[in-house]
Amino acid sequence: MKKKLNLTGILLIAAFVVFLVLAGRGMPPRDLLITTLRGFSVGSVTFLVAAGFSLIFGLLDVLNLAQGTLYMIGAYVGWTVFVRPDTFVDVTPIILFLMAGFALNFLWDYLADKIKLDPQKKKILGWSMVVVAVALAAFILPRYPIAMWQLNNYAQSPISFSYMADQGIRLPVAPAQAKGIPPMLALYGGLAISALLAFGLALIRYKENRQHSLHWKKWQVFVILLLLGTLIMAFNTPLSNWLMDMNTNWLFIIAIVVSVLSVVGLGALMEKTMIQPLYSRPVYQLMLTLGLGTIGMQLVKAIWGMPEFVLPKPEFFRGAGAACPATSIKDIFTHNCSTIMILGGRVRVYDEIVLPIIGITVLILVWLLLKKTRIGMIIRAGVQDSNMVEALGINVRRVFTFVFALGAGLAALGGVLSAPSNGLSVAMGEKLLLNALIALAIGGLTSYPGAALGSLMVGLIQQFMIKYGQIGIPIPFTDIIFKPTPAIIPASTMLLMVIVLLILPNGLLGRQD
Amino acid sequence: MKTKQSFLSRYKGILIFFAVMLLLPFVIGLFEGSNPLEVWNNQGRFSKYLEGIGIEIFILAIFALSYDLLFGITGLMSFGHTMFFAVAAYATGISLKTLGLPLWQVLLIIVGTSIVQALLFSIVLPRVKGVTFTMVTLGLASMFHIIVMSSDMIKLTGADVGLQGVPKPAFIDPSIERLRFYVVALLILVLVYIFYRRFIDSPTGRVSIAIRENESRAKMLGYNTTAFKVVVMLIASFTASIAGVLHTLYQPIVSPTIADLGYTVTGLLIVLIGGIATLSGSIVGAFVIKILDLGLRGIMKDSAPLVTGIVYVVFVLFVPYGIVGSLKLGGLRIKEGWQMLIERFGLKKLCEKKK
Repeated sequence: MKKKLNLTGILLIAAFVVFLVLAGRGMPPRDLLITTLRGFSVGSVTFLVAAGFSLIFGLLDVLNLAQGTLYMIGAYVGWTVFVRPDTFVDVTPIILFLMAGFALNFLWDYLADKIKLDPQKKKILGWSMVVVAVALAAFILPRYPIAMWQLNNYAQSPISFSYMADQGIRLPVAPAQAKGIPPMLALYGGLAISALLAFGLALIRYKENRQHSLHWKKWQVFVILLLLGTLIMAFNTPLSNWLMDMNTNWLFIIAIVVSVLSVVGLGALMEKTMIQPLYSRPVYQLMLTLGLGTIGMQLVKAIWGMPEFVLPKPEFFRGAGAACPATSIKDIFTHNCSTIMILGGRVRVYDEIVLPIIGITVLILVWLLLKKTRIGMIIRAGVQDSNMVEALGINVRRVFTFVFALGAGLAALGGVLSAPSNGLSVAMGEKLLLNALIALAIGGLTSYPGAALGSLMVGLIQQFMIKYGQIGIPIPFTDIIFKPTPAIIPASTMLLMVIVLLILPNGLLGRQD
Repeated sequence: MKTKQSFLSRYKGILIFFAVMLLLPFVIGLFEGSNPLEVWNNQGRFSKYLEGIGIEIFILAIFALSYDLLFGITGLMSFGHTMFFAVAAYATGISLKTLGLPLWQVLLIIVGTSIVQALLFSIVLPRVKGVTFTMVTLGLASMFHIIVMSSDMIKLTGADVGLQGVPKPAFIDPSIERLRFYVVALLILVLVYIFYRRFIDSPTGRVSIAIRENESRAKMLGYNTTAFKVVVMLIASFTASIAGVLHTLYQPIVSPTIADLGYTVTGLLIVLIGGIATLSGSIVGAFVIKILDLGLRGIMKDSAPLVTGIVYVVFVLFVPYGIVGSLKLGGLRIKEGWQMLIERFGLKKLCEKKK
């Protein structure tokens, strides 16, 4: 990944810095600091999406335009865990059980081998199983009890739940009602669906001469999923009550972990089932991710509704009182102040300090992953030439899936982290995707440090433009004060991108060939 | 005489399409009980509504054709294609409304803007390739979208509400002379289609296809590929601009969504559903999309885009050549296709046993 920054790139960055410095002359230092911190904050959220994007594009050559939607789904899942833990507890078992059937894939392959039928009939059997599974799903899944918000009832809508949770009050929720069939039966019906589906697919893709073993270790995942699902289902009410009454700091961490894990799963699924068959047709991959992004957006709209709402901040960042705003770092820990005084200006702890720190931490962690681990080495080699890596006997496909899932997970992390400060809306994904694309184009599409640099530049420019919209830019060496209107802010980043790309088609840190 | 015959046989399909679409309002008029004279005088009810849908489809088809030329034939994946369309739409609206120019002067302005835009995109062309080109065009188009949406321009463009109250020239006002508008739009579509067909068969068009297939090889053969790309860009820009003019003349409001990435994606969707690089696919795709949209909006209300998205993904995964492309392939290898299906789904033995 070591690349020389060429002279043009250095000149461009220098021009950028000079512009910022000159334009920032008229600003008091605290405004300068706050604006810079905000720029870092926006930059780190953009980076989380852009980093995944650049890894995926670098290794897989897939321009994953669904990245914005994954970011959005991450935020919404995080919101659900944080604000409606009971819904989360209701949904988890059925998802675990739907996965459990596929965890037994080794068994299905074994059985498909043992069944004495000629291959054609096996395929017919497989397809009929798939059909039965779909029919069963259509019967059981709508009858599975889930306690959820209601979109057309304002008192029960996500907005009300967010608002009340922000006030520190939990709205009373009615536990899920069984709909026609006992919940446990519906749950095990889910297992039956997934088992039928997995067995059917195993029969369809069956080929002879396979090595099979039924070693006990292979059963572990299945047993864990089964036990976990059953336990959560059995202790549904106490568990959701426990989560409801839990300290919101811990709940926020749980929300982050759950949303990242679920989107990682989603990304892996997407890559395995839809992107992999299209590796021979790159343009179609691009169009596919675009379509998947739209579908995801529509699904989010259908489930969580159109209006915007906010993920409440955890307790640790909500403190307000006599001792606030904090004057030292110690105050943040003792009084949980939401703001801190730096250079005479109020800086929000979560938005402007924690987010950049997390961004930088992730930057370093992923960099370490790329540099110091075996899989990172394979990824870096794959970015250079994935055919060669495959020729060396490494299963690149598996690494592809890993990278895609990693990228999706990073986007989800960005989504759930930005939800308390930027809020959740159906358009959030698209907006951020555009930002991330600009950042990548500036930094260089396949370059990981380029993603960081580009995101930072995009964040800084946006925030400075917003600030100048309030105070006006003193244009250097003249007395004219130029006030950009809010509409020009996104245009400024676009303009930067177009300029950079015209001078350096591969971005600041991209491969120049 | 001979050339005329060959012209007829060559463009049989599109000429039949032209005739059918020309007669369609009258036939529909007969079904709803108004005689052809009433339809001629724009007094039919359902036929007038249908003409309106037809006009929208033709505009979409012209737009999609220009995208097909750029993306399907020449292989330039532009995500800013709607800029041509939107700039022309807004330029028409502003010059009719604010400047009060007559239509022929507006058309001159449109020719100018389309050339300027194509040249703007062409500055980018030789420098950036592949994905970067996609992103630069996206950036340029988004900038235009932002400018249109900005509150500074509210007097000219109407910002996010859209451009309203554009005075329509009397002889082509869609609310009074709808049939005439319908015929004009249809005629333009057919002319554009025939011109595109001729273009593809011309040496320049052949080189464009060669650029899509393998640009470095075309370069090796001594073609200045950039010049060819600029030509294609000019044609596509001009065609999309014509669609934009028609859009402004037909619609009561020019909404800023036409400058959005979403509108380019609509064009992509039409081309994909119809069949990439088939030209006639764009027309078929426009029909499918518009009718699907109308039907779904009736049944599903707000979740119609979800179904459109799923249709799109299904097409990408399973019908990559689109409707027209698959039909063309199917005519050649329908037997092989069936055999593949039988083998894949394990029906081979069954078929043999039945025999």
